[in-house]
Amino acid sequence: MSAIHLEHLAKRFGGFTALKAMDLRIEDGEFMALLGPSGCGKSTTMNMIAGMETPSEGRILFGDRDMAGVPMARRGVGFVFQNYAIFTHMTVRQNLSYGLRMTGRPKSEVERRTLDMAEFLQLTPLLDRRADRLSVNILQRVAIGRSAVMEPAIFLLDEPLSNVDAAFRAVMRTELKQLQRQFRQTMVYVTHDQLEAMTMADRIAVMDHGVLQQVGRPIDVYNDPANTFVAAFIGSPGMNLLRGRPVRTDRGLAVDLGVLGVTPPLAAPQARAAEQARGEVIYGFRPEQTTLAREGIASPVSFVERIGARSIVHLGDGPAVFKAVFENDVPAAVGDVVRVLPHADAVRLFDAQTGKAL
Amino acid sequence: MTLADAPLAPPVPPTPAEDGARLGFRLTLPAQVLVLFIAVFPLLMQLYISLTDWSPLAGVAWPRAWEFWNGFANYSDLAQDGRLWAALGRTALVMAVCVPVEFLLGLSLAMLFVDEFPGKRVAYSILIMPMMVVPAVAGYMFFMLFQSGGPVNGLLGTLLGRDIAVAWLSDPTLALVAVMIADIWQWTPLMFLILLAGLVGVPQDQMRAATLLGASAWQRFRTIALPRMKTIMIIALAIRVIENFKIFDTLYIMTGGGPGVATETISVYIYEVTTQDLIWGYVAAIALAILVILSVAAVWAMKRMGRAAA
Repeated sequence: MSAIHLEHLAKRFGGFTALKAMDLRIEDGEFMALLGPSGCGKSTTMNMIAGMETPSEGRILFGDRDMAGVPMARRGVGFVFQNYAIFTHMTVRQNLSYGLRMTGRPKSEVERRTLDMAEFLQLTPLLDRRADRLSVNILQRVAIGRSAVMEPAIFLLDEPLSNVDAAFRAVMRTELKQLQRQFRQTMVYVTHDQLEAMTMADRIAVMDHGVLQQVGRPIDVYNDPANTFVAAFIGSPGMNLLRGRPVRTDRGLAVDLGVLGVTPPLAAPQARAAEQARGEVIYGFRPEQTTLAREGIASPVSFVERIGARSIVHLGDGPAVFKAVFENDVPAAVGDVVRVLPHADAVRLFDAQTGKAL
Repeated sequence: MTLADAPLAPPVPPTPAEDGARLGFRLTLPAQVLVLFIAVFPLLMQLYISLTDWSPLAGVAWPRAWEFWNGFANYSDLAQDGRLWAALGRTALVMAVCVPVEFLLGLSLAMLFVDEFPGKRVAYSILIMPMMVVPAVAGYMFFMLFQSGGPVNGLLGTLLGRDIAVAWLSDPTLALVAVMIADIWQWTPLMFLILLAGLVGVPQDQMRAATLLGASAWQRFRTIALPRMKTIMIIALAIRVIENFKIFDTLYIMTGGGPGVATETISVYIYEVTTQDLIWGYVAAIALAILVILSVAAVWAMKRMGRAAA
């Protein structure tokens, strides 16, 4: 009933196209993250689902009910705003119970559900505090609680964790997941933080410049990005993308990367893809899926970031730069020439013209 | 002076705090002198004259008004002056009608103008124009409009489909209505502007959040907008109450306080006594009495509203 179906959804603001014909099906009870950089159209999509914006084209269906013309008050969606939009002149209790009171629920029910929600979010001791004197972390909980107490079938969250500190963000990620497990809402979560999307979402929809780039389970999007944008956007650091030309070597098909030399031979699936490629390809591999080996790509080290558990080694110069991530410390110093070998089955090829995966 | 009386230590220099107080006094002295001249001095002069029977025709300048000393006679006259109390009552009536109507109209218009609609900027300019009209000109305008052969009757005639020849400004009741209409026309825009400023200051995301939580437009207004607009509403009402109490120029040009004394407000009455009867000692007494009444009312209202806003 509360599946969300977006059909050719588009939104234009004057001459600016915020969203181009988006098709997406969000299943009932699914946790879907809309992920992308600022201005990619994710918030616009969310606002249209909530009914705050009217689509320029296309349809939004909840279950099989067309939402066109249904005002936001009657869509029954919970919405958590990026800046929380807490009613600062009210207490926490008044904030949490607002929706229930306004929709005329009996007093005893309002009381009970407000207390339950406060208990769930550990807000009980703060119930009678005025909201304008609370920390951002608490406001964040109040904002989630205020919507969740209405038990909406669809819960929309617009970058809810972007203003809270890192430690609290980790706590909230767990709590949001718990919340969803308890109430089984369909959740749509807008974020530019891939860590949030990857850890919480059942599926993520990666967007850029108003275009849906890829939809899939986090691990699939990570392993098999549909194009170079997704490849570079997902992962920290993103996938290395090096331009080159398929060449035949005595050990099989490989990619000639120019100044970086010829790559090790491609594994069978990639080799088949390379056969079909016309002209240049992009040779992609994840920085963390590499080892130092004699047959690897030789390049001078330009910089080493040592961040405790791992080291990020920046290699090459000019257009042919890439990164490699190693567990523990690596005995590499700036200026050393090291040989980095991508795991053969982790290499992905993209069309150099279109950026699409081959 | 014995040796024991001699100071043991040199005199203590003033502490920085004392020094600061003295400096503060010197710095604010010009402002204090100014206040003395614009507020305290005229008030004392007024009090002095109000205790005499002095008139500009008396042949002596006001400082020698004591020659006409009559104690509190003016004040006891004032208590029995039926025309004065009727004028005060009329003023209160005009206020009781105009200010609420202006407030409600202004608020409705402000709510309309919070959202975008085509032609908003033009409508906005037209709407605030009455406020820019010189009150005397507005008075003349309405004087012409309400003539028995004038456009108001013309319009009513067209709407009702028969000839209308209402003598607006010479009927005691209708003249008061006409005066109220003119005041509402001219001052609703001010209410509108102030209340719009208040409404615009209400966070739109909170209004949206309330909508998504199922609150109706009225509930949103009552629970989100109103608490934030309380202060600005009090200011808007206070400005209009004070201004409306002093209603004079538009009204005087329209009706001259007439017919008879049908539209004679307190300002008109004081004007009449000052310019026609020329008994300035009595005028001073009226003005002082009104000042006292207004001040007491203002303090009472401020206290109440302060409590309501808290």
